[in-house]
Amino acid sequence: MTSPRRTLFALGAALLLALPFHAQAQAPEDIVKAGKILIAIDTTVPPYGSLDTQMQPTGMDVELGQLVGKALGVPVEFVTVTSPGRIPALLTKRVDLVISIFSITAERALQVDFSNPYGGQSTVLLAPKGRKIAGPKDLVGLKVGATRGAIEDVVLTEMVKNNPGINYLRFDDGPSCVQAMLSGQIDAMGGGDYGEIYLRKSSTGDEFEQKFVLRPNYFGIGMRKGNPALLHWVNTLLFTLKNDGTLDRLSMKYRNKPIGDLPPF
Amino acid sequence: MEYQFDFGPVFARWPELVQGTFLTIWLSLAATAIGLPIAAVLAATRSYGPRPLRWLVGTYVELIRNTPFLIQLYFVFFAMPGLGIRLSANGAAILAMVVNLVAYAVEIVRAGLEAIPRGQIEAGRALGLGPIRILRHIVLGQALRIVYPALASQFVLQLLGSSLVSAIAAEELTAVANNIMIVTFRNFEVFGVITVIYLGLSLAFRALLGGIHHRAFRWTG
Repeated sequence: MTSPRRTLFALGAALLLALPFHAQAQAPEDIVKAGKILIAIDTTVPPYGSLDTQMQPTGMDVELGQLVGKALGVPVEFVTVTSPGRIPALLTKRVDLVISIFSITAERALQVDFSNPYGGQSTVLLAPKGRKIAGPKDLVGLKVGATRGAIEDVVLTEMVKNNPGINYLRFDDGPSCVQAMLSGQIDAMGGGDYGEIYLRKSSTGDEFEQKFVLRPNYFGIGMRKGNPALLHWVNTLLFTLKNDGTLDRLSMKYRNKPIGDLPPF
Repeated sequence: MEYQFDFGPVFARWPELVQGTFLTIWLSLAATAIGLPIAAVLAATRSYGPRPLRWLVGTYVELIRNTPFLIQLYFVFFAMPGLGIRLSANGAAILAMVVNLVAYAVEIVRAGLEAIPRGQIEAGRALGLGPIRILRHIVLGQALRIVYPALASQFVLQLLGSSLVSAIAAEELTAVANNIMIVTFRNFEVFGVITVIYLGLSLAFRALLGGIHHRAFRWTG
């Protein structure tokens, strides 16, 4: 008779343990003391994060993460997350930092802290060349897709509200959305102005092109709130990497374009 | 920093949660309504049919039961347009759920069919009944009674498993939850709420199906 009750108790205890409370401030020294740094990356967003032929993480975000570890003098343990999993990964203390094309927004900053930007990328609307799309009005009656939780989702959700008649579909990750685009399940998609989709052809044989900009974005390194020392240290590191040309080198290496303006805040 | 729970922003979006819950129920009911009759026919085929057909059904069952539902879902939604079949997100979700459910239900119903003593079938034959009438009047009713609890369980599993179809943009309960999370960032609260909803749905359907079982099969004692 006691066994189900005991199971319930164990479950409850596990739930309580899993909840994040009494988080203590985390300084760079604490990470050094811990002997490793846990960094969340997304390996489905080339050229920022992906897996190479040896199944090792690679990309601009990944190399930046390695530079963070190098500056601290500790090995980096990469934790793979999805786009909607980035904030929970921080809040549940599964990672110390998120370096994963994490666009700086005021809404997100209510839950986590952002460093100064280390890169930028516009979110755009993509569609096959043959489709005439100049603005949101032209999307009415079309199937438009985006990755749930990404910036394009936020912008498109607003757009759909203001332009009734857009058939809007949200996918759980980037590759699913791209696959839906390639197989013709959607007519247009929101996404970054980069990526392999430019190398592919649509189901009608057309190439893809950027139709209009949804929002310019800046990527920051995300961390839990209440860690002023860590935030300041990360900003200091980014300041040095920007000024010694490292960020520009990374941008050229992975994106084949200069890093551009990085306004601090 | 201590995490402050705030359910306000989540409850403020209750119409979406209700809509998502209804779609979850609808997907499961539709898939079951379409899938069960198919499963009954295929189970009879696998038990009594000619050898090539038995083998064919067996292959289908093993193929589906030994591959992940998510992959089957992706196949229906992403690969079938290449064959010229384009379904909406909900249509693809139902089709994938039917394909998946039938594979499991065939084995459940078959277990019921095999449990009927051969003597009863022989008795039916001795009375001059054809195979279809033997199946209908003697075997199927008893078999369903035997496997009903297992089928009810499978229905609830299917209801919970439908949370995966958010991956192909069907806006059921889990998808709605994810949508609310990205706007409110109240992840723990949202997970808490949909856990309670799923739990409530499961318990309600178990009670409902249990009640039906009680009434429908009272005649057999």
